[in-house]
Amino acid sequence: MYTMIVFSAQALPEGRVFGLDTQTLIGIGIQLLNGIILAVALGFILYKPVKEFMQRRTERIRSKINEADAAMAKANELIAEYERKIKEINKERLAILEAANLEVAEERKRILDEARKEADEIRKRALEKIAEDKKHLEKETRLYIIEVASLMAQKYIAQSMDAETQERLFEEALAQLEAAQWQN
Amino acid sequence: MDLNIDNLLVIKIAGVEIWITETIFNTWLIMLLLVALAVVARIKLRRFKEVPTGFQNVIEAAVELFDNFAVDTLGEKLSYIAPWFFMVFSFILSSAWLSIFGMRAPTADWVTTFALALATFILMIFMGFKHRRGNYLQSLFEPHPIFFPLNLIGELAKPVSLSFRLFGNMLSGTIILTLYYALTPRFVQFGIPALLHGFFDILIGSLQTYIFVIVSLMYIKSAAE
Repeated sequence: MYTMIVFSAQALPEGRVFGLDTQTLIGIGIQLLNGIILAVALGFILYKPVKEFMQRRTERIRSKINEADAAMAKANELIAEYERKIKEINKERLAILEAANLEVAEERKRILDEARKEADEIRKRALEKIAEDKKHLEKETRLYIIEVASLMAQKYIAQSMDAETQERLFEEALAQLEAAQWQN
Repeated sequence: MDLNIDNLLVIKIAGVEIWITETIFNTWLIMLLLVALAVVARIKLRRFKEVPTGFQNVIEAAVELFDNFAVDTLGEKLSYIAPWFFMVFSFILSSAWLSIFGMRAPTADWVTTFALALATFILMIFMGFKHRRGNYLQSLFEPHPIFFPLNLIGELAKPVSLSFRLFGNMLSGTIILTLYYALTPRFVQFGIPALLHGFFDILIGSLQTYIFVIVSLMYIKSAAE
């Protein structure tokens, strides 16, 4: 096959605006080929790599957003859990407080009752003691009155009667006193 | 500026004459620029940060915007053809913007626009058969087999209309600017053309880029679904 490329700069054909001939078909073929070459070049050098870069970045950003969402969900779960725990703690605190209040009230009541009982006991013992002391005092007072009366009587008798009558009256009074004491 | 598409070189391969036109040369220039930009972006991609700034922002925004646009138009299932249309989008837009520097836009040549529209047509048929198999062929006979010639013409007209729409729009801008530069005195060729370039090359060029790509995507989607 004979193939030869010849470049001709002389006697160039005249230019034109539009034509329908073999050169038009050849021109269409060359332009189609140029288009294919340019499409392949732009596609492989620019369009595809840039698109892949943007897709990878989109994936990265999406995964970061997903991670952030997951972290947020986890944080929300933790918040919910903590809130639930706080509620439980509050409930428990209230229960403990209520129980403590009840216990305190019971203890207070018990202490008060005991104190009241003790006070009653003390009061009762005091009253008993007072009654006893009163009796004792009455007894002592009676003896003292008797003694004073005896002394007065003794003085009166000493002034108005003789020693024999005095002796006899004393013996009678003593005998009466002993008899009364024995009866008590 | 000249209205004609000049031939810069003629190559003979196996006796077949091939004209290397201004369109083809400018296409190679755009390819070189786009591939260089892609290589720079690819090198910088290794140092791309998690939070984009500056150049990284521009590259990411371009790719992401186009990808979202393709996915929204085609759906997730057909979005694997997005890289082809990313090239079409970048190429047509760069072509339109090339005119700002006084160079002829490759899309102001029907050869380029038809090549791109033909690729759309081939993709449309391929996707139709791939995703709908026999149903795609059957759709040409609907609602009644008698409509087959009309449906066939309708299908064949798609690349033609697609290519001529872009070609016409880009050529109109080129013609108006060429006429302006040719017919006006030199002292009004500063400042005012910037507005014309802004309108025809940037505004119309961007709009036509969008229209070409979205119409192509719609053709493919309707064929595949």
